[in-house]
Amino acid sequence: MSSTTTAEQSGSRNAPSASKPSWNPLKCSGTDLPKNLAIMVKTLAIAALVVNHVRILPDPWLPFIPFLDRFPPVLFQKTLQTLFLVSALAIVFNRRLRLFSLIIGSTMLVAVVSSKAYYGNNKTFCGLMFLLAGLYKPGTPNFFRWQLAITYFGAGLNKLLDPDWQSGLFFENWAVNRLHQPLYMALNSRLPSLVLARFMCWTTIVTELAIVPCLLVRQLNTVAVFSNVVFQASLCLFEGTTFTLFFYSMTACSLALVKWPDQPSPVFYDPSRPLSHVARRFFAWWDLDETFHWIPLESTPRGRSPVYLFAGKTVYSGFRALQMIFLLNPVTYFVLAAIIASLQSMPADVGAFLRRMIVGSSLVLLAPPLAWIVDRLFGPGTLSSHPLPGPVRERLSA
Amino acid sequence: MRVIIPLLLFAFQLGAIVYARFVPTRYFCWAPYDTQTEYWANATVNGHALTAPEFRQRYRRPRHGFDNRSPQHVIDMLQQVEQKRAALGEKASVVMQYRVNGKAPHIWRWPASTPKDETEK
Repeated sequence: MSSTTTAEQSGSRNAPSASKPSWNPLKCSGTDLPKNLAIMVKTLAIAALVVNHVRILPDPWLPFIPFLDRFPPVLFQKTLQTLFLVSALAIVFNRRLRLFSLIIGSTMLVAVVSSKAYYGNNKTFCGLMFLLAGLYKPGTPNFFRWQLAITYFGAGLNKLLDPDWQSGLFFENWAVNRLHQPLYMALNSRLPSLVLARFMCWTTIVTELAIVPCLLVRQLNTVAVFSNVVFQASLCLFEGTTFTLFFYSMTACSLALVKWPDQPSPVFYDPSRPLSHVARRFFAWWDLDETFHWIPLESTPRGRSPVYLFAGKTVYSGFRALQMIFLLNPVTYFVLAAIIASLQSMPADVGAFLRRMIVGSSLVLLAPPLAWIVDRLFGPGTLSSHPLPGPVRERLSA
Repeated sequence: MRVIIPLLLFAFQLGAIVYARFVPTRYFCWAPYDTQTEYWANATVNGHALTAPEFRQRYRRPRHGFDNRSPQHVIDMLQQVEQKRAALGEKASVVMQYRVNGKAPHIWRWPASTPKDETEK
């Protein structure tokens, strides 16, 4: 997800919609959460349901909080599972998102502290995402940003102070002995011992620690969002797994850091170009929340962009506009989460291959660098070098 | 409450990050996949050597496996199970060999009649 130049925290500016929520799981307008948070919790709920996370919710076993193992094990486990399942389904079908986010988040965190066998960073983080969404109140600080900053700080600091990370030994063992990563091993064989491992370790440490100030300084949030998504996608590409719920939770958290347009976004298109009509029909077909309002341009000089998208106060053109239409449609996230999660039932190597393909191609197709290249090679170029058509300019200055 | 609960959670996590600097465990301090522990364990309960399924049922882990965190997390699980079971009158002994990030193996034993944690020569 790309944040616009006006990226904002999910505060009062991303106010919940007043319309009634739909039962359609692919829609998410009209809920009691701002749209970006609604997309986040729905994406996580979809992933958790598709991977059947409910089956591994535990009974109390070596709990972190001692009294928890005094509960009858079966009753405890069934209660957690029921609450989890009901809440996840309620979220998917747009029922009381805030309440059910609070319940499912609390359920996951209780599960984490009730069993050392279940305990895991991924479940803790996912539970916290739900819980923070459930506690959301307009005007309060963006706690998602704080949570992500603490997570990266803890992860980066632990690695920084670990001798095996400083020397590269961790990565060497992980990539060679555990993963048998062919690309890494091929490159590693051409380099002096531990050079590549040390490079990977220090790149990870620097990335994790550098994201922290980017999260805490609002002007750098766009960098934080982009870095977070690219870093998590890189981990998924390297290992081929989602680290249970970690990949979904960490990437979905980025949604809480961006400003979502609270009004339908106008898309001006050139009706004289067949491609514009194809794009309009295609995107309108799955724009279930009516996020985009397509408006034909009356006259467009040759060489200009066939499409202009207004998202808040930012205007996008060319291929970048098409990317943003993808990124601003919640269905994109639901479908991606569902597809990636569904691969869990496949044989490990097939699942890892397909997961890498989906994550890799999504990253390439939806990230700004490709738009930058395409728009310079084939498209209209930058907005500054190619003035906007009259009606679009008027709209921008209105 | 909508502000106090998140602030308390953040304070707890920051405390856990600091606490982790002084202990071998890495609970709640955001250290995912920071250590690769490979282990092999055997247990005998009341004179009976546990089979692989019996071991898994007792400790909820396989006899040979990996953990993506500190080895102390595996040790905690084995040790705490035995501490609880000892109260029920069971006599168990556990020997676990483990290596961290592919380095030289260590041995951990329960009960710790011999040196608690020794490096295999």
